[in-house]
Amino acid sequence: MSSRVLPQFDLLTPQSIPEAVAMLAQHQGQVSVLAGGTDMLVWNYIRKVKPAYLLRLSGLDDLDNVNYIPGEGLRIGAKAKVVQLLDNPDVAEKFPALFQAAETFATPQIRNMATVMGNVLRGSPAGDCSCAILALGGQVVLQGPEGERLVDIDDFWVAYGVTERKDDELAVELRIPEPTSTTRSAFIRMTRVHEDLAKLNVAVCLEINQNTCQQVRISMGCVGPILVRLKQTEKMLVGKQISDGLLQQLAASAQEEIAPIDDQRSTEEYRRQVAGVILKRVIEKAIGAH
Amino acid sequence: MRTKMITLCVNGRDHRFEAPVNRTLLQALRDDLKLTETKYGCGTGECGGCTVLMDGKDSICSCLTLAVEAEGRHITTVGGMTQDGELHPIQIAFIEEGAIQCGYCTPGMIMRTASILANNPTPSEEEIRRGLDGNLCRCTGYEKIVQAVQRASQMMDTTQIQKSGGMGQ
Ligand SMILES: Cc1cc2nc3c(=O)[nH]c(=O)nc-3n(C[C@H](O)[C@H](O)[C@H](O)COP(=O)(O)OP(=O)(O)OC[C@H]3O[C@@H](n4cnc5c(N)ncnc54)[C@H](O)[C@@H]3O)c2cc1C
Ligand code: FES
Ligand code: FES
Repeated sequence: MSSRVLPQFDLLTPQSIPEAVAMLAQHQGQVSVLAGGTDMLVWNYIRKVKPAYLLRLSGLDDLDNVNYIPGEGLRIGAKAKVVQLLDNPDVAEKFPALFQAAETFATPQIRNMATVMGNVLRGSPAGDCSCAILALGGQVVLQGPEGERLVDIDDFWVAYGVTERKDDELAVELRIPEPTSTTRSAFIRMTRVHEDLAKLNVAVCLEINQNTCQQVRISMGCVGPILVRLKQTEKMLVGKQISDGLLQQLAASAQEEIAPIDDQRSTEEYRRQVAGVILKRVIEKAIGAH
Repeated sequence: MRTKMITLCVNGRDHRFEAPVNRTLLQALRDDLKLTETKYGCGTGECGGCTVLMDGKDSICSCLTLAVEAEGRHITTVGGMTQDGELHPIQIAFIEEGAIQCGYCTPGMIMRTASILANNPTPSEEEIRRGLDGNLCRCTGYEKIVQAVQRASQMMDTTQIQKSGGMGQ
């Protein structure tokens, strides 16, 4: 339920990244970063948060782009919107899991407003772009008073809604490594109704050579307080030929590895049941078996 | 309460006014500028009733946008689609197809349609349906709205849309 009026706050509009970091340091704990606002303003409406200051990104240049750099990978600026993933042919071709996450994400209006970075910083286990990025691997670039640091996406989420970012740091860029000619990836999500948040989402990124899996990262959402990698299940896949029998074993392993709960969008039992099925489907989707 | 002088360019006209910094674009349009054609439905980005066009192309939810964030952009509301008393082809198409019942969703639907057609002048039925994902209608059952978008696409001179870089002013 939304109150029609936002609570009172003050706005900070830094004109450079160092100025933004200085403002975050000065008002530590009292300031929230405002990107697209599709989470932040909703939380303000429902008074889930009541920051004294919102720090806008509008005055900051050079954070708008989604760039593919051959030999390095994908760079997503902190102000890049989800729609920009759909408009970029390199994302569709080289990072299908991320493209597919953007395709199912919210509504056209929200995709024009929401940033990819906001999805990662929000730290929700249901984040669709976040789920794809965890499978693809990568880093979050943070700028703080001591300069820049890179945090691996595997270590970035620490608890529900909590990330490695410190209060005086601004997230400036997402980096996703260059795929090889044998990299395949895919994303699937399940929802109650189309525009709802996921009740389960899954992404996979594999290195496949002659139907043998050489490396794999599997991420699943809505099965714990943060997005998780299914590392035991990954191990069962490495070095193996992908077959129906193996996919069955992986499905069973995924069911064991997750720790879902009952909530408003689904139940523990249901999530466990379908986790194995959607894992099989996402692997088949990635390798183009169906 | 902190306030700020804000300049918003709406339907080709600049408006300068003082507003609290927590004003949403939707409140600024409705309450400060008295342009009440843009509707409040849910306030949380889900219904599309508050959809406006930015810079002739991008549709956004004005309920989840701070007014200050819209400074320097060209905002078009459904009121700006009508020029010199002449209805826009999209408006005519909605009327002729009977795509309006209570009309509450219509301003948002028209602006979303403007965005769909500005980005893709000849959308398929599938693209229209996907394109209207973020706009809820409690009355029509959507069939006639989809037909109206198809009709508008046929009525409009597509080269003109592309040349002018979008819709509205
Ligand atoms: C109607 C609706 C539908 C939605 N559907 C989906 C969906 O299908 N899938 C999905 O995953 N999500 C969905 N969401 C949630 C939301 O749109 C996403 O999480 C979005 O990516 C958030 O990005 P934003 O730019 O709006 O972030 P904001 O709301 O501006 O910020 C989100 C969080 O990130 C922090 N933050 C943002 N940028 C930075 C930065 N540069 N440095 C430090 N902190 C930062 C903010 O402080 C805040 O805590 C939906 C939301 C709505 C309203
Ligand atoms: S009022 Fe903005 S989307 Fe419903
Ligand atoms: S005509 Fe009534 S909500 Fe669409």
